[in-house]
Amino acid sequence: MTQSFTKTMRRFITNDGSYLLLALPLLIFVVVIAIYPLFFSFRISLFDYRLTDPNQTQTFVGFGNYLRAFTDEVITNSVKATLVYVAGTVVVEILLGLGMALLLSAETRIAQIIRSFLLIPMALPPLVVGLVWKSLYNVDFGIIPYYLAQLGIDLGRGPLSELHLAMPSIILVDVWEWTPLVMILFLAGIKSLPTEPYEAATVDGASRLQSFWYLTLPLLKPTFLVVLLLRTMQSFKVFDTIYATTAGGPGTLTTVLNYQIYKVGLTFFDMGYAAALANILLVIVAILSILYIMVLERQQL
Amino acid sequence: MHKKSAAEKVILTLLTVLVIIFFMFPIVWLVTTAFKYGRDAFAIPPKWFLFDWTFKNFQEALDNAATGKFILNSLIISTGATTLSLALGVPAGYAIARTKSRLINLSSYFFLLLLMVPPIAMLIPFYLIMRDVHLLGSYWAVILIDTAFDASFVVWMMRSYFADVPREMEEAAWVDGASRIGAFFKVALPLSIPGVAASALYTFIYSWNDFLFALMLTSPKTKTIPLGILASFSAVEIGWGRMATLSVFAIIPAVIISLFLNRYFVQGLTMGATKG
Repeated sequence: MTQSFTKTMRRFITNDGSYLLLALPLLIFVVVIAIYPLFFSFRISLFDYRLTDPNQTQTFVGFGNYLRAFTDEVITNSVKATLVYVAGTVVVEILLGLGMALLLSAETRIAQIIRSFLLIPMALPPLVVGLVWKSLYNVDFGIIPYYLAQLGIDLGRGPLSELHLAMPSIILVDVWEWTPLVMILFLAGIKSLPTEPYEAATVDGASRLQSFWYLTLPLLKPTFLVVLLLRTMQSFKVFDTIYATTAGGPGTLTTVLNYQIYKVGLTFFDMGYAAALANILLVIVAILSILYIMVLERQQL
Repeated sequence: MHKKSAAEKVILTLLTVLVIIFFMFPIVWLVTTAFKYGRDAFAIPPKWFLFDWTFKNFQEALDNAATGKFILNSLIISTGATTLSLALGVPAGYAIARTKSRLINLSSYFFLLLLMVPPIAMLIPFYLIMRDVHLLGSYWAVILIDTAFDASFVVWMMRSYFADVPREMEEAAWVDGASRIGAFFKVALPLSIPGVAASALYTFIYSWNDFLFALMLTSPKTKTIPLGILASFSAVEIGWGRMATLSVFAIIPAVIISLFLNRYFVQGLTMGATKG
């Protein structure tokens, strides 16, 4: 009994023990630098805690900050803006990304070169992306208003300032930045399609449009799901490009939830409320993340 | 097989050209603006290639001590976060790939989840903590929060990399008397240098491109390139030339990685949905 216990212990130390030792520094780091702040964030979300208050008082308000979020008109509006932004970017990127994947799926040298150039936008610092587009949209010197004016389209006070243009304009920036990623995912999906159904369809005299509609689209369903979840998750977290282009304006029209949290916490320094809002966003993104992981796991089986 | 008709070929080529124009014109505009005098940068109608090319903006940027400082700060923070993430993440990734313990195995999902946490949700408490421990404005503040995300990525990446490295060599080392940890350093690690390099590139780019963390956690002394670019933009007179020049410095790593090392980069961005 004792002997077998020592044996088990020794095996544990040489095997799992060693592995635990290799993982331990990271585990400690993550607990201190990531997990502790998230718990800390939950704690301060229960307090009325404003850094602008000279006495730095923290008043316990329970779930008051969370309840406040649900009745706060500013938050309701930012949630609406977020939904428009997420839906707009994800839908356009899926349609355009799928089209581009079909267009550039050939394994020719030229298609490969084009595909690697298309990766540049998503690798750029998002702040630079935002500033470049802000310059392109500039109503006095920007090239987009200039060329559209040549075509007879008047953009008024400019794409970022007109009420009906601001949201589509920042969605376009996101589309520019992230559609190539969607394309890559669809390319991977298309490559993994079986060839037999297509051969059978050709024998049966199906047109290319028919095999696309009845074969490719249904077979790509798992890819659609992955793209949808990944891009929705990422779209909820947009910050830099909005900061650089509209800064949430005109008015609060493009103030998405993520940007609103930044404003509450790091410009108004209403930390308790900001933490509560951030935790709400965290839960939304966590649910999407878990779904994403489950989908990926099921596909790899 | 269906043959494509001539008309179809023309349409497809046309569409391809449109795609290239749409995705490349902002980059072409940015890079060429860095080589323009002020009058050409604001010229209407826009001048794409036929203008007085000049290195004036680069000269001015390099003469300006602040520019060097921004670049240095970005290098310090990105290198620091990358080094720390690899030191913590690579051994952990190996442990997760090799262990038979279900618990350690499951922790890889935990790291994937951590990777997906909205940065702002981490930043708000982190800002307060850094203020309390008097690290606000130091390099460490940004390096530490970057590493929380970067190291999670490295674990995830290295776990799948090590899973493809055959175990036989390590087992042979065990027979020769090496410990598990010794086998990791002497056998497995040298075999996985490509994976480590790929992880390093991704984490470097992540920190290099970061704006939100640097915005809140740096001081005037530790500001990174994106903050420098922003400062040149919000000046009274719009400094497009200066903004473009600094941006060219900022996008160099991104362009190199997308053109030459793209499969690793995509693997990172899709969080495991594509396998290179």
